Amino acid sequence: MPPRTPRAVSRAAVRSLLPREAPQLRTATRTFTTALRPRQSPLPQPRCLQPTPSSSLRPSRTTSSYHSTTHPPPPGPFNPHERLLLSAAHAHVPAHGFTPEALALGARDAGYLDISTNLLPHGAFDLIRYHLVTRREALVAKARELDAQKTEDRVFELTWQRLLGNEEVVGRWQEALAIMAQPSYVPASVKELAQLADDIWYLAGDTSVDPSWYAKRASLSAVYVSAELFMTNDHSHGFADTRAFLRRRFDEVGEFGSALGAVGEWLSFTAGAGVNVLRSKGAPI
Amino acid sequence: MAARPPILRRVLQSCTRQSISPQLGLTTRSFSSSTPTSSPPASAQQQHASPGTSTTHFGFETVPESEKQHRVAEVFTSVAESYDRMNDLMSFGWHRVWKDHFVRTLNPGFSPLSSPPQSPQHILDIAGGTGDIAFRLLHHAHNANANPSVRVTVSDINPSMLAVGKQRSLSLPAAQQASLSWLEANAEDLSSCTPLHSAPGTPTVPIPDASVDLYTVAFGIRNFTSIPAALREAHRVLKPGGVFACLEFSKADDHPLFNAVYKRWSFGAIPLIGQLVAGDRDSYQYLVESIERFPSQEEFRQMIVDAGFVVGGKGYENLTGGVAAIHRGMKRRE
Repeated sequence: MPPRTPRAVSRAAVRSLLPREAPQLRTATRTFTTALRPRQSPLPQPRCLQPTPSSSLRPSRTTSSYHSTTHPPPPGPFNPHERLLLSAAHAHVPAHGFTPEALALGARDAGYLDISTNLLPHGAFDLIRYHLVTRREALVAKARELDAQKTEDRVFELTWQRLLGNEEVVGRWQEALAIMAQPSYVPASVKELAQLADDIWYLAGDTSVDPSWYAKRASLSAVYVSAELFMTNDHSHGFADTRAFLRRRFDEVGEFGSALGAVGEWLSFTAGAGVNVLRSKGAPI
Repeated sequence: MAARPPILRRVLQSCTRQSISPQLGLTTRSFSSSTPTSSPPASAQQQHASPGTSTTHFGFETVPESEKQHRVAEVFTSVAESYDRMNDLMSFGWHRVWKDHFVRTLNPGFSPLSSPPQSPQHILDIAGGTGDIAFRLLHHAHNANANPSVRVTVSDINPSMLAVGKQRSLSLPAAQQASLSWLEANAEDLSSCTPLHSAPGTPTVPIPDASVDLYTVAFGIRNFTSIPAALREAHRVLKPGGVFACLEFSKADDHPLFNAVYKRWSFGAIPLIGQLVAGDRDSYQYLVESIERFPSQEEFRQMIVDAGFVVGGKGYENLTGGVAAIHRGMKRRE
């Protein structure tokens, strides 16, 4: 058993925040990427820090293609040099937007040349992606503060916190959305949205592995995107209008979700009954 | 009666030359074979390789390192005048799209407007003989970024190619001509370069350490005798934070059907076009073979990393399904 790294500690710490269940239940078919990367150093020792039999038997591999709490998280999308340039450039976004201008100013702050921004394969889009990834990762710390609430409330609160992550750059966010909508960047943008919805549900403690897994993520993605768009035109104090908008969307989805659930239950019952009828007729099913 | 048109004459010459007497220095291969071969013949590996000397490859042949430079020089002296016309014919003009994309993404001469400019950018265009990349770099800096404080040094090992480029540069605006300089240099050793058209015996000039902002090499690096040596030299002359950028033919293996058509075209048609248009089949046979021998995207990226550069993302960008690829690396700050 290799020595426990801080990474493992923080992962276990997040797990400890969640409702206690058997760990196998949390093996949904997802690639959990970056949300659990260590951002804070030593955390209070949680209960599930004890090595589980599986983790002590299996040699630790570098990455896994599925969500695993016993593997180190896969490396993020940026290497240290890219992070250096991007974090310096991010400070210039409120003034200069997600532009080559901000990137070059950031490169100068980091002690590099104007031309050094060529390290980034997609220029301004990398800056946008950096914003998305870092704001998403920041939710891990937020999730820790929300311990004793219901899952639905935690989802709402985490979504709201993620929207507040855009607060500094909200005046530039329409530009960013326009760049994300460019055809060559759409796949990466949609993937990032999917990971955001996924992380929010996971951090809120949702461990369901039934078909609602997809419905939850799809509906949260839709709600989040519409709220984000609403926020770009919101001039109310503390984005109160956006929060009210988000609350209304969540209520609607709740009604819709229960209706969808009822339909799903009916469909699965009917399908099961149909199979049983066929079996009773001797069909080899 | 008027003399035959020059092109026709060259075609006839090249055909006769091949059918009657094998060309000097290329004695062991039949270039006139019309059968496309897209893989190196096994027996060719040992040709010309005498024991005890380090060897490299020249197309599908293995030759001593000392010989490759000389033979590449022969190829490019032979094709210099028809080089651009041939590029258009071989790639259906698409090489212009690649080169435009290469230069546009590099964004040379870009400088933040809200901050005082840094020192003028020095761009070194290696193997840039006919000026294709250099002129685009200058045009982008002057016109797209409105930044005339950019110096471009065009370097090539071959004075014939440089002479073509210098001639072409006379049609550029005067401000852009003034930013250009022409240097005859071996990319594996940039410490002794000769300015173009200098008198014999002129002392050589070095390109100092950490003096270049942007190092570009387009469709040149596969002709170098030692690619790692050239990469190390690039690393030496670049400033910390400077960028190495390479546009080069690469592998389209991800798309088998497209790759099959492409290979058929390159091994079947390109030497033939070379024979008909430039009157020189051998040089274009070398061209397609050298493309085949060039390392894959991942291998070349690893060579760039080994030379001390950092790469971003996956380290390369495929163009046209991988027929060409752009590799970029940045020299890290100590």
